[in-house]
Amino acid sequence: MTGLDDFLDELVADADAVFLFSPGKTQYEALAEDDDVVVVGPSNDVEAETFVELPLEFEDLRDRIRFGVEGAVEHGHVGEDAELVCLAGVFDEDVDTVSQVRADQFEKSGVYDLFANSRAEPSVIRDVLEVAVELGKKGQKGKPVGALFVVGDAGKVMNKSRPLSYNPFEKSHVHVGDPIVNVMLKEFSRLDGAFVISDSGKIVSAYRYLEPSAEGVDIPKGLGARHMAAGAITRDTNAIAIVLSESDGLVRGFKAGELILELDPEAY
Amino acid sequence: MQIDWPGLVRRVFSEQGVFVVSIGILLLGMVLGYLIWRWTRRMLRNAGVSEAVEGTPFERTARSFGTSTVGIISNIAAVFVYVLAIVLAINVAQLGNTDVFWTRVTAYLPSLFIAALALIVGLVVGDQARLRVSERLRSIKLPEVSLIPELVKYSVFYVAILIALGQLGVETTALVVLLGVYAFAVVIVALVAFWDLLRSGAAGIYLLLNEPYSIGDRVRIGGNEGIVQEVDMFTTRIESEGEEYILPNQNVFESGIVRIRD
Repeated sequence: MTGLDDFLDELVADADAVFLFSPGKTQYEALAEDDDVVVVGPSNDVEAETFVELPLEFEDLRDRIRFGVEGAVEHGHVGEDAELVCLAGVFDEDVDTVSQVRADQFEKSGVYDLFANSRAEPSVIRDVLEVAVELGKKGQKGKPVGALFVVGDAGKVMNKSRPLSYNPFEKSHVHVGDPIVNVMLKEFSRLDGAFVISDSGKIVSAYRYLEPSAEGVDIPKGLGARHMAAGAITRDTNAIAIVLSESDGLVRGFKAGELILELDPEAY
Repeated sequence: MQIDWPGLVRRVFSEQGVFVVSIGILLLGMVLGYLIWRWTRRMLRNAGVSEAVEGTPFERTARSFGTSTVGIISNIAAVFVYVLAIVLAINVAQLGNTDVFWTRVTAYLPSLFIAALALIVGLVVGDQARLRVSERLRSIKLPEVSLIPELVKYSVFYVAILIALGQLGVETTALVVLLGVYAFAVVIVALVAFWDLLRSGAAGIYLLLNEPYSIGDRVRIGGNEGIVQEVDMFTTRIESEGEEYILPNQNVFESGIVRIRD
């Protein structure tokens, strides 16, 4: 199959760096011998020097590659116009796919920025996203629910909002990621208002009515008041917002007033 | 309260019967030993000891001899019973002038058993403690930190050896004194080094329980004014116009809190 070999050779010919997604140890060592390898994965198991942490197991390969490339460019592992070859596993854990991209091929979406350069810790953002996805999958007693989480910069957010009701999290010290939280949030999501979560992941309050100035917030048309509030609060403060839409069931992430991330809980 | 068992048996049975009795004791000891062996194995397995010792050097050494920690402990228990039965049988049969020697051996046997057990448990616990501590410290990328797990391991070993030697009747006073000095030094160093942390932690517990101020409040603590962003065990973070103050909770107590209401 010389045709196939030639094609593959051509594909990887002018690669500046190789992106390995969640590789095994032997694989990494074989490649790291004579190539620039950037490892992208949930954890740095192979102890690679250049590593981009993947906070979510993106189901879609495009999302995964986009996140990895944005992270690597941000860290300066690769240049902004580098030719890259990505090796990833799509159908299985093992690598089964080769794809070729240029680092400047897609618009900078800021997904990496959302996780790595926000006030809140990446693990907190990941935990909140997981809760939102979980909530989107199951809903409240089978019915779809909506929810709004404002993460980070909690002091300012609290000053730009007012309580709708008695705060159930007052004098409690629960953090997102605690096992009990999933259940609690599911119960409280029935009620209106936003959840406010601090930089370190402490749930500060529920039932907050956000009142930022929504001036100049530009979010896609068709999204409702919840998304508008989310966009506005992230523009007014240094927080980020994770929204679960009640109408279309998607989870969206906002930062600095802009829609940055869109996930379908069902596909996740 | 020493009962003269051989004499009693001799009075109850005939001279020849004594042999039968002692053989019976031997057999009973065999069965009992086997039962104890099985029971200990099951007990230890059910208690999750097999999983707990997984991966420690002692377990690995035991494995290379074709046995396991659980196996060794149950074997020791069984051997203990066997030896006891044999000694008892010999004693009853009065083979030779065994009295003085064997009485002392039987008195010594439990201590020996406990000493062996203490050593094994000490080895396993020490290794496990080292593993746990080093796992906890893994996120700290500092070469010197690897000293702490080793220190923990050898401290546990030292205590185990002390217990074993004490059981065997070896004079351990000097070693105990050494241990005391060592523990004292550790406590003193911890107190001196962590003094501020301890005070902050104590204040932090009060702040977390009573929440005199919470996230979002505007406060002034010792001249630093801002909005509270975070309160944890040791520090309070307040933020104002582009400046974030990270204050130890002990300062909060020393200077008091001004809550600013408008």
